[in-house]
Amino acid sequence: MRGVFYLAWRYLTWHRFKTSVLVGAISLVLFLPSGLQLLINRTAEDMTARAIATPLLLGSRGSPVELALNSLYFSEDYPSQLDYLELDRLNETGLVDAIPLYIRYRARGHAIVGTSLDYFTFRGLEIADGRPLVELGEAVLGGAVAQELGLSVGDSVISSPETLFDLAGVYPLKMTIVGVLATSHSNDDQAIFVDLKTAWIINGLGHGHQDLNKTAAANVVLTTSDEQVVANASLVNYNEITSDNRDSFHFHGDLSDYPLTAVLPIAVDRKSATLLQGRYLDHPTLQLIEPVKVMDELLATVFAVQRYVLFAIAMVAAATAAVVVLVFMLSLRLRRGELLTMTRLGGARWAITSLIAAEIIIVLIMAATVAALLNLALVLWGDTLLNSLVLRS
Amino acid sequence: MLRQLTALLLLTLSVGCSQPPDQQGDAQPAAALQEGIVYTVNYPLAFFAEYLGQGGLRVELPVPAEEDPAYWQPQPEIVLGYQQADLILLNGPGYAWVNRVSLPANTQVDTSTAYTGHFIELDTGPVHSHGPEGDHSHGEIAFTTWLDMSLASLQAAAVAQALQKLMVDPQELEQRLAALQSELSSIDAALIEAGQILDNAPVLFSHPVYQYLSDRYGLNGQALHWEPEIYPDEADWNALDKILSEHPATIMLWEDQPIPEIESELRKRGIVVVVFKPLGRRPDSGDFLAVMETNVQLLSAAVTAM
Repeated sequence: MRGVFYLAWRYLTWHRFKTSVLVGAISLVLFLPSGLQLLINRTAEDMTARAIATPLLLGSRGSPVELALNSLYFSEDYPSQLDYLELDRLNETGLVDAIPLYIRYRARGHAIVGTSLDYFTFRGLEIADGRPLVELGEAVLGGAVAQELGLSVGDSVISSPETLFDLAGVYPLKMTIVGVLATSHSNDDQAIFVDLKTAWIINGLGHGHQDLNKTAAANVVLTTSDEQVVANASLVNYNEITSDNRDSFHFHGDLSDYPLTAVLPIAVDRKSATLLQGRYLDHPTLQLIEPVKVMDELLATVFAVQRYVLFAIAMVAAATAAVVVLVFMLSLRLRRGELLTMTRLGGARWAITSLIAAEIIIVLIMAATVAALLNLALVLWGDTLLNSLVLRS
Repeated sequence: MLRQLTALLLLTLSVGCSQPPDQQGDAQPAAALQEGIVYTVNYPLAFFAEYLGQGGLRVELPVPAEEDPAYWQPQPEIVLGYQQADLILLNGPGYAWVNRVSLPANTQVDTSTAYTGHFIELDTGPVHSHGPEGDHSHGEIAFTTWLDMSLASLQAAAVAQALQKLMVDPQELEQRLAALQSELSSIDAALIEAGQILDNAPVLFSHPVYQYLSDRYGLNGQALHWEPEIYPDEADWNALDKILSEHPATIMLWEDQPIPEIESELRKRGIVVVVFKPLGRRPDSGDFLAVMETNVQLLSAAVTAM
């Protein structure tokens, strides 16, 4: 038997081009379904990992998908807003520590995430360069943002207006970059983080301007009385917060009415999470979602296309198998003289059959080995491939 | 050769069938710190935390000695210290810098939530709005709430509740709180008595920081804006004389001992200087209770001698 495999091996190595083509074709057919499954599973895992790490999300009643995508993946479409009061109410339950999110604005294509310092602790985000947020008007960049835009500590980034022709809109805010986060291989790498109040200032809910009680300029005052001074629209708001004007920044109205896009409730334990879900089950204006369930449903829909791809691969596999069989059959026909020679030399029928079978087995083993190596490479380096190709989008 | 191929195949298949990498785990928040670092915004809160913690905590009040904590603007390095604290005790009203910096929400404790209905709004001039329909800005609220001993007692209770998070022994904490509130109650009773003796007699305040003292103990006071180390100019003295014509005060409460020239000039007008330290910042000597007792003694002596 060893002799048969030796002869088969020598034949295959002599016809190395044909062997290489056969091994390549069969290995690809073997690798594609398993590799695709591995890639899809890894993609789904990465996309749902963030949802798994965020057990609950509170938002205004509406599309759970929009709420999850905006809060976890910083999509451009943002959900209906809820009042900051709801965060206070959540904290008062004693069941959770609530983290605010206000993700509405963008700067140079990247989401501006208005939140609190607790977000960084929750997500395990570390500062790689500079320091955390301290004062209004400061920004901390995700690692990928800093790299892509060529920005570093000390530079500035300006928020983008929501619409181009909004004459009555708020001026863009110029923010000083004080820190850059270490790479976390998540969507946080692609975001610009600011204090929640800074995000409200971008909104126009907070601003700084000259002191209306002291100004002698009549052209910025609409009416004045002992209790109140009313300014007109010609009053210019500062569009950058500096050490000179920081003290002038203030907010109008009640902060409890100020907007959030979502609240991250961090439950103290599982029982607290369950209790909280019960409280918001039939809430008329709010929804408390489990992001992992929302993402599972979304991915099930998206990856339904996987079945069509696998069907196509099966068709290709069948075609490849047919071609391989054809190649072997044609090869046998071409080797008829060689096989006749073996017979005349005394080779038994079973020995010649074994020889042909050995060639096929060796080719299959080699193809399986190559397919396994490709799977191994995907297991070892699939994360890097995904991070560079999938998560960048 | 065949054996080698088989061995290689078995090896790669075994690796290829290995378990997928672990899922990215939850990004758990940092574990609760055990060091017990408490940052405060003024001296009363620092004192309450020190008294109730009894050395088991590290209490910080990083305001420079020459600064008024209510109007202080900390440098970023100082704010970073606040961010690292296990607990940040806030006064409630005043201390506008707190709203202009980033602090972790889950370590902040507003110690005034039990008495927000007792806040005193200051007359700081007109508020403003943008356009006739816009929301208006807010007026300021007096912040020296601890000069009302009943509010100080509630604030101490809030500090005690907050310290429970740092796993200070609850029984010891309760005992210390009771002791502290007993001391505050004694001071409260003495001040009530002083207020009753005064019986709405007009008094003056060198600075507008005694709103809660006036409100709780019935002091009929008017506030000036005089500094103990700066001799007022002629216009200031004329303004005082005008006030005295309608508000004939014989006692003037000062944040600190004024220079002799001021005291002499006030004495000519029949006004006795009473040093009543507001204790917003750490005193040069003594602690909150000791200095408050001194305040009470000086005030009581002055009203008794009227």
